[in-house]
Amino acid sequence: MKLEIKNLLPVYFEEERKSTSEIWGKERSFSNGDLVNIVAPSGTGKTSLIHFLYKMRESYSGSILYDGQPLSQFSKEAIASLRKDHVSIILQDMRLFEEQTILENLEIKRQLHPYHPQERIIEMAKRLGVDHRLNALAKNCSYGEQQRAVIIRALLQPFGVLLMDEPFSHLDHANAQKAIDLILEETAGRKALVLFAELEKATGFPATHLYHL
Amino acid sequence: MYTGTNASSRWFSYIGLGIGVLLLLCSVQMFINIQQLLKEGSIRKDGFDFVSITKNITNETMGQPEKNLFHADEIEAVKKQPFIAGVSPLLANDFRVQLSAGNVLPFSTDMFLEALDNDFIDTLPPNFTWKEGDQHIPIILSSDFFEIYNIFAPGQGLPQLSKETAMGIPVQVACYGRDNSITFSGRIVAFSDRVNSVLVPKNFLQWANKTFSQKDRQDASRLFLKLKDVNDPQLIRYLDAQHYVINRDKTLLGRNKIVLQGIFSGLGIFGLLVVILALMLFSFYLQLVVARSRQNLELLLTLGYSPAWLGKNVSNQFVPVYIFIVLTALICTQLMQWAFHRFIMFNRPELSSLINWIVLLLAAVLVLLAIVTNARLVKKLLYRLS
Repeated sequence: MKLEIKNLLPVYFEEERKSTSEIWGKERSFSNGDLVNIVAPSGTGKTSLIHFLYKMRESYSGSILYDGQPLSQFSKEAIASLRKDHVSIILQDMRLFEEQTILENLEIKRQLHPYHPQERIIEMAKRLGVDHRLNALAKNCSYGEQQRAVIIRALLQPFGVLLMDEPFSHLDHANAQKAIDLILEETAGRKALVLFAELEKATGFPATHLYHL
Repeated sequence: MYTGTNASSRWFSYIGLGIGVLLLLCSVQMFINIQQLLKEGSIRKDGFDFVSITKNITNETMGQPEKNLFHADEIEAVKKQPFIAGVSPLLANDFRVQLSAGNVLPFSTDMFLEALDNDFIDTLPPNFTWKEGDQHIPIILSSDFFEIYNIFAPGQGLPQLSKETAMGIPVQVACYGRDNSITFSGRIVAFSDRVNSVLVPKNFLQWANKTFSQKDRQDASRLFLKLKDVNDPQLIRYLDAQHYVINRDKTLLGRNKIVLQGIFSGLGIFGLLVVILALMLFSFYLQLVVARSRQNLELLLTLGYSPAWLGKNVSNQFVPVYIFIVLTALICTQLMQWAFHRFIMFNRPELSSLINWIVLLLAAVLVLLAIVTNARLVKKLLYRLS
């Protein structure tokens, strides 16, 4: 899947940002297999960018295109279909159903498009060391456990683009590396584009492109 | 989706909807019952009712026959009414007529003759014709008049007659003008159940009026109406407004019908209002449900669940509830109808113990209405979230 951004800038940012940023106000095009690392210190609009790309917010000027189609013209149903089959996301604030168990949270996503069998959830949970917490309520899990659940959730669907917003902020280095390995394995199988926004340059992530926001 | 704190508003809207639907269905059923009950009770031929109307003769109009006659423009106005299928003026004789049985029976009486358009006569034999110069006049006599003759005949020393015999007896019809008179030979050629009169061919009466009365009277004393329904409230209102008189017995049911239909229309409108109110209450309840589940719904949408699919899922949960409510109201209506037929109407054959198909159809429409409005609302709320 091809992702293009053209002259993008949040409406709440000054025009000067365009001159200092490698993303804002620029024309960028990413395609299958690209591993894009966006380095963004706090306050540079990292979460805004990810939200814009997932159409969770539309407070920007410029345009975002998926396979040449402007995202602003996608209908609500088309957006649902895009999120179900083409674009996956790992959000910084995680967003789990707190009253459901981790396994139920993962099943809710898997059933939307059963790309993987249920056994794969358990395998991935084992890889990331959260298999013993699968039956715990999400609200009773630590941030680290919740973050790993969110990573697994993002990998349960088919996708051409994976958006990640500080996906390892609550993980230690060893666990983060396990997660990166799993993500790379899953994206390689799909030949997907990964857009990874992080505060600093990610270690252990073999980025093909590096941009400063 | 459900949280216990919403339960009371949910139940209120369910009960409200149930009561509204019940009121509406019962009113419609009673409305249909009245229609069916009051359709009977009048003589109907070929699906039409035939009645005659006259003008209301008051003290003011008593001495002025022209005021009590129907003029051509008035007849046209009556014809134009949508509930009147046809109008024929009843032309009366404007001269003296005496009827006698000649030498056969010692019977003689002053009489009146009337003429009516042929297509309004129920028993029209082919020989009911006359042309100038004919001495013979065919007569169609009212069955009621014939019955009256047979009642008073023994007291007068006259023989009672069968219809066949009466048709065999020649009668003499003497017509008296101011300075001329002619006696015709008449014969009863048919009896009519519909027209209470002594009918002769129209062209004969027109000729005779001209010959014996000099005045060329065109106006009719009575109008004979062909009606789709003699109990039609519109007809009764029209006749009352014009001060035309119709046999009260024939419209009494119609007058009751107006009152009863009014009551049940009112009740039906009230039921409809309750249904609308309940649906509104239900929509508030749904908005509350969606608002309280906002976070979860938003997350589902973020995960890629389609708003249309989610909406359908949320609304579908209410479908069995709606069906249950309307079905319960339908069963109550059926019980009401059965009890009404059995205990109040004592199984009268015009009515059925079962509810009318229109009520069933209405119930189905109500279910559909509730489901559609519900689905639209949920979809709208979810689109707002996504």
